[in-house]
Amino acid sequence: MSQQEHIGPSTEELVVEAREALRDRVRRRATGLGDHFKREWQIYVLLLPTILWFGLFLYKPMYGLQIAFKDYSIFRGIDGSPWIGFEHFQTLFGNDQFLRAIKNTVIISFFTLLFGFPAPIILALMFNEILNQTYKRTAQTIVYLPHFISTVIIAGIVMTAFSPSAGIVNAVLEWFGMDPVYFLTKPEWFRPIFVGSGIWQEAGFQSIVYLAAIAGVNPSLYESAVVDGASRWQMMWKVTLPSILPTIIIMLIIRIGNLLEVGFELIILLYQPATYETADVINTFIYRQGLQQGQYDLAAAAGLFNAVVAFVLVMTANTISKRVSRTSLW
Amino acid sequence: MTRKTDMRFGRKTMRKTTLSAALLATTMLAQPGFAEEHHRIVEEPLELSVHFHWPRNQGYEEDYPVEQAAREMTGIHLVDETAGRNTPDHNEAMNLLLAQGDLPDIVGGNRIKDKVNQYGPEGAFLPLGDLIAEHAPHIQAVLDERPELRDAMASWDGNIYYVPYLPDGKFGRAWFIRQDWLDALGLERPDNVEELYQVLVAFRDQDPNGNGVKDEIPIFERQWEELIRFVTLWDGRSSGSDTYHDFFVEDGEIRHPYATEGYREGIRNLAKWYAEGLIDPEIFTRGSSAREYLLSENLGGVTHDWFASTSGYNDALQEKVPGFEFAPMLPPESVSGQRIEEHRRTPLKPDGWAISYANEHPVETIKYFDFWFTEAGRRLSNFGVEGQHYEMVDGEPVYTDAVLNNDQPVNSQMWEIGAQIPRGFYMDYAYEWQWTSEAAREGIELYEANDLLIDQFLGVTLNEEEQAVYDRYWPSILTYMLERQQAWILGTGDVEEDWDSYMAQLDKRGLNEVLEVMNTAYERQYDS
Repeated sequence: MSQQEHIGPSTEELVVEAREALRDRVRRRATGLGDHFKREWQIYVLLLPTILWFGLFLYKPMYGLQIAFKDYSIFRGIDGSPWIGFEHFQTLFGNDQFLRAIKNTVIISFFTLLFGFPAPIILALMFNEILNQTYKRTAQTIVYLPHFISTVIIAGIVMTAFSPSAGIVNAVLEWFGMDPVYFLTKPEWFRPIFVGSGIWQEAGFQSIVYLAAIAGVNPSLYESAVVDGASRWQMMWKVTLPSILPTIIIMLIIRIGNLLEVGFELIILLYQPATYETADVINTFIYRQGLQQGQYDLAAAAGLFNAVVAFVLVMTANTISKRVSRTSLW
Repeated sequence: MTRKTDMRFGRKTMRKTTLSAALLATTMLAQPGFAEEHHRIVEEPLELSVHFHWPRNQGYEEDYPVEQAAREMTGIHLVDETAGRNTPDHNEAMNLLLAQGDLPDIVGGNRIKDKVNQYGPEGAFLPLGDLIAEHAPHIQAVLDERPELRDAMASWDGNIYYVPYLPDGKFGRAWFIRQDWLDALGLERPDNVEELYQVLVAFRDQDPNGNGVKDEIPIFERQWEELIRFVTLWDGRSSGSDTYHDFFVEDGEIRHPYATEGYREGIRNLAKWYAEGLIDPEIFTRGSSAREYLLSENLGGVTHDWFASTSGYNDALQEKVPGFEFAPMLPPESVSGQRIEEHRRTPLKPDGWAISYANEHPVETIKYFDFWFTEAGRRLSNFGVEGQHYEMVDGEPVYTDAVLNNDQPVNSQMWEIGAQIPRGFYMDYAYEWQWTSEAAREGIELYEANDLLIDQFLGVTLNEEEQAVYDRYWPSILTYMLERQQAWILGTGDVEEDWDSYMAQLDKRGLNEVLEVMNTAYERQYDS
């Protein structure tokens, strides 16, 4: 350390440099946007595709949302169709199957959040405790894999696994002397199967975010914990978890914003009229009623309702988080 | 817009020069003097753009041999402008086409009827009645001969907006039973519902496949909806057409099968059969591979499926399952002694083609549509090109050996050359008979000999207000019906206990309102 002092610049030189840098910064701020773009243009070019994507695929389609308030005919077009006010919303809320779909969406989302949100965190903490690198990597790869399988295949695997004749689940039940159960036609079994297969598919991949956060924890914290005689368990609770808490909160807010976005592709592949009672969610309702029957205007109304609720949810979660933990999206 | 038309013009003129060269080449190839002057519609080749979305190919190929031959005979050239080529869903493709508003001259393909009848009156398609009367004598002759088709094709405003694909032949699905299993157990072919029950019980209990394990599945279906057709054994109905869960006509009035006493009785018995293990326990989830799997594993006993494809397993499985014989049988007599085959080929497909508002040559186009109903056109659209795909033997078209003894089934060979595709044409059943297996032919003759068919409900076209009523109530009624249906069969509900509240729910959900608009439309469409 002492040798470096001789090699590096003197304190006076550093002070002069810092003053110049400050002046520079002030000047930059004053020269306005034009100069700013000129200097930082590469960064804006990098941003451009994202802006275009947002504009084309998220903002431009919003123009079409107006069909939720129109009697829409595809041939007359969005502008040519007559306004009818809130009639589609009245139809929707007068339909007990739509109300049931809202209820199912909330319940399935709640269980997905309750069981699905902690799973990748626990997984990441567990991976973090594995010392053998080869074993760790192998285990990680195995739990990531289901994420890359297409939903159709996942549905096929789930259907086979829970089949009464060929399924492994019923084979185990029979081995214990129980009667086979036709799980996929039992309304009471749909939610556990759906939530469980979702966790199986995604927990591993989602744990990557938390592993990255754990990797970013300052090692000196662990070093001082060791010096203080902390056990591994204590280190996990007192160092790792608090350090990745901001990440967890951000992920939670995002999840709450997507609460109503149930992965309906898997539901469509797995449900039956026999299980509609617990399985029919807003998105599958929109699909059946709106797209299969060609009622785009009604489907748009249901989708708009979905989006408004999601917006309220994410605002609420953000506000609460800001108050409680001072972590927030904006 | 202008730029686009310019480009199109440029393309058209360029195409003309290359086309005349191609035309010369094909003329030299084809045999001379094939009534060319009779079918020629235009002197100068005329190009018409076409949207043609159908399951086997999401478009219309200009090099189909059938298209090439039609070009040469008529002078009209179809140019593919199909929207939504990247989606297999024809409905989605059609919506995409209508939403972009820039329609090609001809809009055709799979299931266009509802769309053209809905948007025709809004001005998207031309009404064809007068055009046909003036310029299309062959189509007119069919409509005169079978006026019920005209009624079924019409939109709510009384106009017809499309020229349909008219299937030929009557039977589609049939009852199949494992004759070798019956023989093994020394049983007779069941002739009524009680005998069928006894046979199914025997299939379940007496190990007809002889492997020592009680693994037989007496009744199985590829589409679980086919199981519901079994309610005809108790004088119920499952559908009035080849679309599942459809309305049906009884005493001149539209009713829904799932709100009738026969259905109640049928479901009660099916639930009992299901509980007794006579029906595939996985009937609702086994899906499209059920037939392939259960037959090749020697597990399945009885099904209701298509004549041609199902009897095909007799040859295909001979090695794997020695003695395999899956025989078509007559529908067992119902409790009241009636024999009903509920399914039949519809006489009128919702497929075909229509003329869009953007078409500047409606007369030439309708003449072109008419060409496919002439003798030469009908033969071309059924059998392909003479000399290439068929020969005339004693005045009848007969497929060449190359076509009949091909690894590929004849129908998919036809689809590839542009024949038997869902354009507006009149199918000739002789086309299918030639490559129907012996087993299936016997079955069809058996069905022909007994008067089994019942009238099909060919659908009604609702006007805007009626459609609004239908859209408001029907989807949730159907959802509710299917939920209860599956619950009753699976035994999570009891049809006898639930029936009154079920009927009350249907009432509350607006079934009467739906039936009322359907019947209004029915009277308008078929009684006038």
